[in-house]
Amino acid sequence: MAAVKMEVFSDFQCPACKNLHDQTLHLVRSQYADKGKVLMIHRDFPLPIHSFARPAALYSVAASRLGKWDVVADALFKNQDSWSKTGSIEALISPLFTPAEAKKLKALTASPEILAELEADIRRGTEVRLKQTPTMVFTHKGKQHSAPGLVTFPIVSKFIDQLLAS
Amino acid sequence: MIRVVAIVLRVVLGAVFLYAAWTKLSQPWALFAMSIDAYGLLPEWGVLFVARTLPWAELSIGLLLLTGWWLRWTSLIAATLLGVFFVIMLVSWSKGMGIDCGCFGVGEALTWKTLVRDGGLLSTAIGLCVMAFASSRLLRRVT
Repeated sequence: MAAVKMEVFSDFQCPACKNLHDQTLHLVRSQYADKGKVLMIHRDFPLPIHSFARPAALYSVAASRLGKWDVVADALFKNQDSWSKTGSIEALISPLFTPAEAKKLKALTASPEILAELEADIRRGTEVRLKQTPTMVFTHKGKQHSAPGLVTFPIVSKFIDQLLAS
Repeated sequence: MIRVVAIVLRVVLGAVFLYAAWTKLSQPWALFAMSIDAYGLLPEWGVLFVARTLPWAELSIGLLLLTGWWLRWTSLIAATLLGVFFVIMLVSWSKGMGIDCGCFGVGEALTWKTLVRDGGLLSTAIGLCVMAFASSRLLRRVT
């Protein structure tokens, strides 16, 4: 079991979340999570000010059920500028799946289980007194540490190393 | 009267600096480094340097203000430091950056309320500095 739990609260329509995903989280995953040192958990926290963040989050949760969260998250962040204006999330996501999977994915986004999972993420955000996205919440030896905003990989890495060494 | 006001100002400001130092030193230093990094102003080495040294600088300033030693220079340094913090926070807030203030450890969002508080502390430090330079005799260490 990983010594450090890292929950990343994110909103697919938030530019800083995109930057954190692109610049920092991929490296944390390859250098810590894949080696079993850190348990990374993505938590959707769509902000009410972003009109399409909630449907995007539903697609993200649904995609994780099909084992394709990474693919969907990468596509959503990569094309943030376009779907944030039009809301055409389905047109972006569907080609990433086979027709059968795409149909299943669409059905999942409307299912109560997926909605409940999203609500659970939002509740968790409220529980840790989330004030903004992105926010990384680290749990180590029962202690929680929050780090909001865009933090670069070398600095996040220093913090994780400090936790692992303690 | 001026002497009493000056003593009150330096004790309040000294206590604030000590508290700021304590909140940072009681947490992992790299956690404070992440707060600094989120401002997006410094290169990696600068972030690490500030994260390692600022809490100790705040501790020293707090102790010097409380004791009243070298008050003119200490109040000048305190005012300069608070002025730098205020400008950085104002710029970041006006850009709509959703980050932590980092003022008293972590977990405090940068909002207009933070700016008002920091502005108040800056005014206090400037006031103390002016009094200290205008009449250093009045502000000697209380014995």
